Amino acid sequence: MREYDIVVIGGGLAGLMAAAAATKRGKKVTLLSLGSGTLTIGGGIVDVMGYLEGGIPAATPSAGLLQVGDGHPYKKIGRPAIEESIRFFKEICEQEGYSYIGNLDKTQWIPTAAGTLKPTCLVPKTMDTTELKKADKVTVLGFDALKDFYPSLIAKNFKKIPAFAQKEYEVVMVDPKLSEGRDVTALDVARWLDTEEGLASCIEKMRNVIDSGSVVIIPPVLGTRPDYAVKEKLEKALGCHFVETASVPPSITGLRLRTMLVRYLKKNGVRIVEQAIVAKSIVEDGKCVAVITEGVDRERTYHAKSFILANGGFYGGGLLAEPGKVIEPIFNLPVEAPTDHELWANYSLFSSEAQPFAKLGLDVDEKMRPLDADGKVLLNNVFVAGRNLRGYDFSFEKSGNGVAIASGYQAAMSV
Amino acid sequence: MKKHHNNPDSCTACTVCIANCPVTAATRKFRGPKMVGPTLERMRLSQDDIEPSLEYCSNCKNCDMSCPSGVPISTLNMLARAKYFKNRKRSLRDWILSHGEKMAKLSAATPGMANFGMKMSRGILKKIGISDKAPLPAYASKSFIKLFKNLKQTSYPDKVVFYPGCFINYNDPQVGMDFVAVMQANKLEVIVEEGFVCCGSPLVVNGFLDEAEENAKQNVQILKKWTDKGYPVITCCTSCGLMLKQEYQELFHIEGVAEYAKQLYDADEFLLDLHDQGRLNTNFGTLNEKYMYHAPCHLRAQGMGLPGVELLALIPGLDVQDADAGCCGISGNYGFKDDKYDISMEIGSGLFKAIKDSGRDTVVSECGTCRLQIGHGANVKTLHPLTLVRKSYEAYHK
Repeated sequence: MREYDIVVIGGGLAGLMAAAAATKRGKKVTLLSLGSGTLTIGGGIVDVMGYLEGGIPAATPSAGLLQVGDGHPYKKIGRPAIEESIRFFKEICEQEGYSYIGNLDKTQWIPTAAGTLKPTCLVPKTMDTTELKKADKVTVLGFDALKDFYPSLIAKNFKKIPAFAQKEYEVVMVDPKLSEGRDVTALDVARWLDTEEGLASCIEKMRNVIDSGSVVIIPPVLGTRPDYAVKEKLEKALGCHFVETASVPPSITGLRLRTMLVRYLKKNGVRIVEQAIVAKSIVEDGKCVAVITEGVDRERTYHAKSFILANGGFYGGGLLAEPGKVIEPIFNLPVEAPTDHELWANYSLFSSEAQPFAKLGLDVDEKMRPLDADGKVLLNNVFVAGRNLRGYDFSFEKSGNGVAIASGYQAAMSV
Repeated sequence: MKKHHNNPDSCTACTVCIANCPVTAATRKFRGPKMVGPTLERMRLSQDDIEPSLEYCSNCKNCDMSCPSGVPISTLNMLARAKYFKNRKRSLRDWILSHGEKMAKLSAATPGMANFGMKMSRGILKKIGISDKAPLPAYASKSFIKLFKNLKQTSYPDKVVFYPGCFINYNDPQVGMDFVAVMQANKLEVIVEEGFVCCGSPLVVNGFLDEAEENAKQNVQILKKWTDKGYPVITCCTSCGLMLKQEYQELFHIEGVAEYAKQLYDADEFLLDLHDQGRLNTNFGTLNEKYMYHAPCHLRAQGMGLPGVELLALIPGLDVQDADAGCCGISGNYGFKDDKYDISMEIGSGLFKAIKDSGRDTVVSECGTCRLQIGHGANVKTLHPLTLVRKSYEAYHK
């Protein structure tokens, strides 16, 4: 019988990080994934802690970590492991030629496609705002026919942000000639720039509208591959600095990060099974022996010494909402939730409070093992990571990818 | 989550499928899986809605694989295509490409003549819309069924049923013969049922859904007959396998598919299962050889990982490297079409480059048409994994 050291359930950022940390420790890992995770939807920037309760911005991610409540996953994981996880993540990025910038002691406020700023911790070099902050004059460059990126809206809204109000903005357009066929997304433009001809043609077009030495805000289009080749070639040819904005799905930064991490795992011998619908588990004496996938044909059993449960929350299918209760379908772990499900939602729009439903999830100990209502460890060799954890609203506090990285890492280190 | 629940409303329009669709990446003419699949399906449910770019979907299933909400996007496209063609005239090109089995039977009397004829008539085929550059397969001089009939097997109490499929039967029978040899080496006797017909995959992609259903009904009845008796049924072709176990459930309402699917195996996975049970013949001879491997999309879609890679890892000395460079672009008969050939080659370009960069001259892959496309696009030799398994067994006795 084939037995692995660790079976990771879930191919999102938490699962990928857990698998990466486990393989780094010399463990034999199988990763069971269903769909390609939410990185390509949510994006590749790493938020750690942007806003505290009440919607107050955290001074730095570090300061934010100090102020999270007892039920928060960060509190369980602890500062040293969070730091190590960030270091490990940056190390992989560096090694793979797609390094990230930033650290826990500084909030990076990055531009969005709506012309606002959002707080984050780690970003790819394509989103480095150092030059943008220094510049007196900023060029906002759009692409003809590209949906969801309106340079004049960005320029107008930036004028309303105190730190950016004094700058002068110039709006310019480049026509990628992609209007034939379907609607144009940032992915189409990024793929155009992936090709040598596209890049050369884009450089020529940009030369006509931007001056050497400019700082240029652009949509996330600097190539789909996890490297900086497109950015470097463009900047060298034009003598400019480009800054990508955060934008709507499909997320190019998320696509790059996912491509890089999956490649890293495969290189390190992780066996990845796609389309694996994990439906149930075999538990004996407080230990999980195997998990079982429910294929369209038949069940398949995956044996391992330890299991990392990183299959997402309500969106990813790791948690199921039913009237008055929340179910964790694989191990049937308890999820504490108000029986009156009307209480799960915060009904006020643009509220300064988190969504209660987002905080529903699995309670764990400091090793990420699931706990019952009395705080007793339920399964000794099962470790939980990512969006199924209880106690945080990633969207409200801007902590999503940070919790995924820290909890994925901690789960793998606890095995 | 039941995969054969074709609900477009499960789609949250998250766009992950667009990012993972190889056709979308290769051409702007395709509006993308989200739009053409679930989004327009909601319109199609209430009215006739014609989407011209629907013809670009290759049914490779990368959208289904990337979907976080379990929407069978490609199947929605295939159903829409069938609906579109319900009252429309079909092209001769599509008929020919969909009816490989009929064409093969017509040519069976004189495959040599048929191959000669095909070479001569590439100009004519081009006129009806089949690319004159595409790697059309040649007919084998003897079909697998013919070769099998002349083969003297050792009889064993444990038996398996083999579903050869059209490509192995008419174009690449050696894979079937290698399969039989590997089963025999594992003390298993192979049964081949002549009543099996084309799985229907080439029919479905061109909208001949009614004919595909007729084929399905016949195959289901035979498959169920054997699995009811407790015999496993094995395929070496990943597209046949996917059609028989999954797409039949998504496309048709035929009783019995879920039941026999439990015992329908990919050959590599079947051997690994034997290994798990401690009954695989592991008398593998050393093969000091290097190969690239390509995972067919229709294998990846089956939720069993890459059993071929795991199986070949058991052979001492063998060095098999997964190219891991995505879809090859052929998607059955998609890349044979004149207006799709360039798209198909563009899709495969990343894979061809990865293979060429590796410097290895032979690529291993389970899917017959993937092998054709790779041979054509990367200018390398190709093999089915079982050919290497057989070779290793034979090396042990040398």
